[in-house]
Amino acid sequence: MLVDLAGGWNPMLGRLAWSQIPYDNPILAPLFVAVVIGTIIILGLITYYGKWTYLWKEWLTTVDHKKLGVMYIILGLVMLFRGFIDGLMIRTQQAWAVGTHSSGVFGATHGYLTPFHFGQVYSAHGLIMILLAATPLLVGFMNIIVPIQIGARDMAYPYLNALGLWITAAAGALIMISLFVGDFAHNGWFGYAPIFELQYSPGVGVDYWIWTMELVALGTTLGGINILATIIKMRAPGMSWGRLPIFVWASLSANVIALTSFPALQVALGLVAADRYLGAHFFTAGLGGNLMLYTNLFWIWGHPEVYFVILPAFGMMSEIFPTFSEKPLFGYITMVLASLAIAGVSWLVWLHHFFTMGAGPYVNSAFSVATMLVGIPTGVKVFNWAFTMYRGRLTFNAAMLWAIGALFLLLIGGLTGMMLAVPAINYMVHNSVFVVAHFHSMLLVIVYAIFASVIYWFPKVFGFKLDEFWAKTMFWLFSAGTTLVFVPMYMLGFMGMTRRLDYVFNTAWHPYLLVMEFGIVVYMISVLAFFALLYVSIRDHAKNRVGADAWGTSRSLEWLTHSPVPFYNFAVLPHISARDEVAWRRDNGIDHVQPDHYEDIHMPNNTGVAIILGGLTFVLGFALVWRIWWLCILSLLAIMALVIYRSFKGDPGYIITAAELEEMEKDAMCREAQIGKQHYRVGGGVLGDAIAYERSDLPPLASQPGSSVGLGHRS
Amino acid sequence: MSSPASNVDPKTAELWDKGHYQYDVIATRTLGYFMYLLSDGMLFATLFAAYGVLSYQHSYFGGPTPADFVKPWYTFVQTMALFLSVLAYGFGMNALKNKNKSGVISGLLAAFVLGVLFLMLDIHDMTHLASLGIGVATSGGMSAFIVLTQVHATHIFFGLIWILVMMAQVMTKGFTTDVVGRLLTLRMFWHLQAIIWVFVYVFVYLWGYMS
Amino acid sequence: MQVKWRNNLKNGWRYAALAPILLLNGCAGNPYWIFNPKGLMADTDLFYLILDVVIMGSIVGLTALLVIWFMWRYQKGKNRGKYDPTWSHSNTIEVFVWGIPIIAVGFLSWFAVKGTFEINPYNPTVITNHMKPNGDPVEVDVIATDWQWLFVYPQYHMAVANELVLPTHTPVFFRLTSTAVTTTFFIPQLVGMIDVMPGMRTKNALESNNMGEYQGIASDYAGAGTSWMTFKTKMLSSADFGQWVQKVQQSPTSMTYTSFNHYAEPYINVHHKVAYFSSVQNGLFDHVIDEVMNGKTWSIPPMMTENMVAYMQKQDAEHRD
Repeated sequence: MLVDLAGGWNPMLGRLAWSQIPYDNPILAPLFVAVVIGTIIILGLITYYGKWTYLWKEWLTTVDHKKLGVMYIILGLVMLFRGFIDGLMIRTQQAWAVGTHSSGVFGATHGYLTPFHFGQVYSAHGLIMILLAATPLLVGFMNIIVPIQIGARDMAYPYLNALGLWITAAAGALIMISLFVGDFAHNGWFGYAPIFELQYSPGVGVDYWIWTMELVALGTTLGGINILATIIKMRAPGMSWGRLPIFVWASLSANVIALTSFPALQVALGLVAADRYLGAHFFTAGLGGNLMLYTNLFWIWGHPEVYFVILPAFGMMSEIFPTFSEKPLFGYITMVLASLAIAGVSWLVWLHHFFTMGAGPYVNSAFSVATMLVGIPTGVKVFNWAFTMYRGRLTFNAAMLWAIGALFLLLIGGLTGMMLAVPAINYMVHNSVFVVAHFHSMLLVIVYAIFASVIYWFPKVFGFKLDEFWAKTMFWLFSAGTTLVFVPMYMLGFMGMTRRLDYVFNTAWHPYLLVMEFGIVVYMISVLAFFALLYVSIRDHAKNRVGADAWGTSRSLEWLTHSPVPFYNFAVLPHISARDEVAWRRDNGIDHVQPDHYEDIHMPNNTGVAIILGGLTFVLGFALVWRIWWLCILSLLAIMALVIYRSFKGDPGYIITAAELEEMEKDAMCREAQIGKQHYRVGGGVLGDAIAYERSDLPPLASQPGSSVGLGHRS
Repeated sequence: MSSPASNVDPKTAELWDKGHYQYDVIATRTLGYFMYLLSDGMLFATLFAAYGVLSYQHSYFGGPTPADFVKPWYTFVQTMALFLSVLAYGFGMNALKNKNKSGVISGLLAAFVLGVLFLMLDIHDMTHLASLGIGVATSGGMSAFIVLTQVHATHIFFGLIWILVMMAQVMTKGFTTDVVGRLLTLRMFWHLQAIIWVFVYVFVYLWGYMS
Repeated sequence: MQVKWRNNLKNGWRYAALAPILLLNGCAGNPYWIFNPKGLMADTDLFYLILDVVIMGSIVGLTALLVIWFMWRYQKGKNRGKYDPTWSHSNTIEVFVWGIPIIAVGFLSWFAVKGTFEINPYNPTVITNHMKPNGDPVEVDVIATDWQWLFVYPQYHMAVANELVLPTHTPVFFRLTSTAVTTTFFIPQLVGMIDVMPGMRTKNALESNNMGEYQGIASDYAGAGTSWMTFKTKMLSSADFGQWVQKVQQSPTSMTYTSFNHYAEPYINVHHKVAYFSSVQNGLFDHVIDEVMNGKTWSIPPMMTENMVAYMQKQDAEHRD
């Protein structure tokens, strides 16, 4: 024990004690039971179907960038759901606890959450949505798409890629376990000095917050290095910078931000940890500390992070609009410049997160102008998307609808962002729900772009399209939810309602809060529609099967290889001749030309080291949270030993011979030729042989009318 | 033609790679490691920023300031130890060009010994401070001083472990691509730590001594 | 503020923009505090808000219309617009694409800088430029504790907890600090936000010519009691204000350095208690800043975090009137 703690501590268990398990909490205890039962059912099913070996060999130890990407996305979706439930809880509390006469249950004076518990819910909501939902989802897409788009077999460092995923997953596990062991921080996702100091937050919540963020920061930095090195070094022959797909440019800009900004977060939180664990005085109000330093350090990372998540979303939109407008992206070069400009300017604007902290007018003006500068490249992007549609041939399928939704949300977010950039306006709406509505508009741009991309790239990864009807249903429900939640929120902002109120003192706000509550229920229904979408699509996968060019109007390189993408991506690396290579080949009628001979390929081996290291970082994080020092040292030593072991063992990789390759390629082409004609068994691809679709009992599709769904590219 | 960037004639275009396109493994790794070092540099930059903010007179809160206990000559010896360690590593890498195994090993060994000397001096310095009752909890200024210098020392500590591992790998595995790549990245790491130390020595020790 | 066109613009747009909302709300008064400012500072903020929304709104609105028009015109299979599969560049359009945002941002930047100086909390020129040479500004020292507000009136040697009373037609200058954690001082209809930080002093100012009662809020999360950390701000005529001062000065309680130590302990003001202190020991504000800088903290007991339920019951039992 290095500093005096309010609670007990013992050398064996640190601060851990039975009283830290909230078994008497009327919300958490039933949830815990449900989680345990759910876990037992899932584990039982895996055992029953004997899938443990498959799971271990094909997924948990994989270094294949597509599988890692899929796992990133699954992690992101699970955390998105958790964050959504937190959002539901926040809205319910605010719709309930209004005015002095509102009732209270579960020990709360008003509503059903005590103030401290409410603080934990919104802190977890923010942290999860930004760092454990948006970030893994986008990193997942970059992981899957970037190597294929530049014509590489894998990422530059496949093993590091796996490590990044498992460390991020460890962070997710750490924040999930804070539900049932101890509590979480109440200081908001970005934290305030000095409320996170031990005097004002004596529990372990802030420690969970610190170590979760540190782990995500580590995982994302590793991922960022990997993607940058992949883009710089692994491009296929002929893939010059001028021919790079726009999503790759967006990923490049985003990861430059990640690489340079995440260390600032690591330091900021490391110093908070020094304050809490060693009794240092970095951010204390007294004894020479400087609490404004924390806010600066945090947002020096925090603002670039915002662009780290928005830039890939812009990249996704820049891929989807041209595909469904059936013409090239308008102003490719300015689009690239705009991405790089946003990345650059992102470093100069952090102070706009605290205009009200009392900096002088010169400082505030400078940051105000810098903030508005972001509006220029962003505006250019919006115009370029608009002119991509101009003189196009627009198909409004589900992916396009989500992308257009993102565009309109960006317009709203941009308008309100320009308002917040002016200090004179900011003083009135900073820390109000107006700000909350603004950044939700912006983050929803990302969510919309992500759902657009899920629909857009799903066939590339899994070989069949998602169901259009349910995808569109979900879009309209989700958009209704967005409108119902955030329009009243903007209005409340103009009424002066401040954020993070666990008790709403003004009854005039009640009707709006009730509309928002209704909106979140609509969101809830859209989540159900998403589950229906997955269910229906998987049920009907056979008739939605697609060939290499799933949409028939695709443009960039990932659509050249088979769907689902084989684990080696390209049997022979393509030679790139054009910016939109697939469109170029299609227009010139050479899109079905296949390589005439194959050569041996060298591929990396799977490894269990990455997931074990991820598990150990989780143990380390948990031990740090509870101050179990022996476990910290033990897990740290184990991590070092494992890293050294791996470095000695190395990975010689293995060879796929030209003959094997030819066999697999023949199979794939045979499958593609059969699309829409009859049933076949899918092997290879992301799901591997184990989840093959052995539904040969179904009648052949050729007998059904309208079965040529997958032949879009011939139209 | 909807592909504005292409002047290639589709009839004669090369569609599939025939040139046995190979990635330079070592160059790719070195680039990635360079980017890691960039982020490490950002980490130190942030720490230096924190130190800059917390090194005003009032940050020390009337307590001890670096001027009270920094001995420039002591730190100069540390500096020399680290610089010579980097130099020794450089000699080792020179031997690598001639595939001279014993030369590499002795270079690494010398680098290791000098690095240990640096670390011992640092630990001695810190225990001395502790005996004076100065620690991270003394004041904001001292927190920044100690955390910045000790984060650097932690880097040195892990670098030393890495040097040991590399000695073992050179001995057992010889100069494989993996080992050569790691020797190169370790050299970058070791150099960066020396460069960072220049800043620590100048802006933390000397500056603190003089103010 | 003195320029007529600004007032015209402001009022014109305010009512145009708010017409539908105002209709919805009928006679219930305007709940849109931001659109209904009652003081010079908030008034200036509103001017910039409307200016910004007019400029950006027109650009964004036109862009939205453009996108919708393109969506309608170029829908596949409708053959409304010409399809050109290769068109992807136009220097003319590029000029507009970059030019429009640059001009808009340049124009707004000029106003942004101007506005920042006008309502600079340390020296708001909207107030200071028009102060009468011998006008008598009121000074208020604001001390935020966990989770109450203490307003010290050094000119009258008195203090009030959780209620702010001020005279109209008089500039008011605040100095603000906090004992424990950071929060924000905000009166939506009178003055924008300024952070209140322990061990530090920030400033703000307001001037209002409208009598009435306005809501004050702690707008930054400061811990468990933040939601109840509200205060009413009453703007009185000079005569009424004088009477109110006399009333406070007759209160039996007073505030010393010692009693402040007790007062500053964590307390959730669920019953919106207001307290008057007829006298205040001189220099309390600076004393609090010094104490905090010397490492004094008013820690939150664990009971007010994990076990809020028990705490709320205890406080309820002790303080129910």
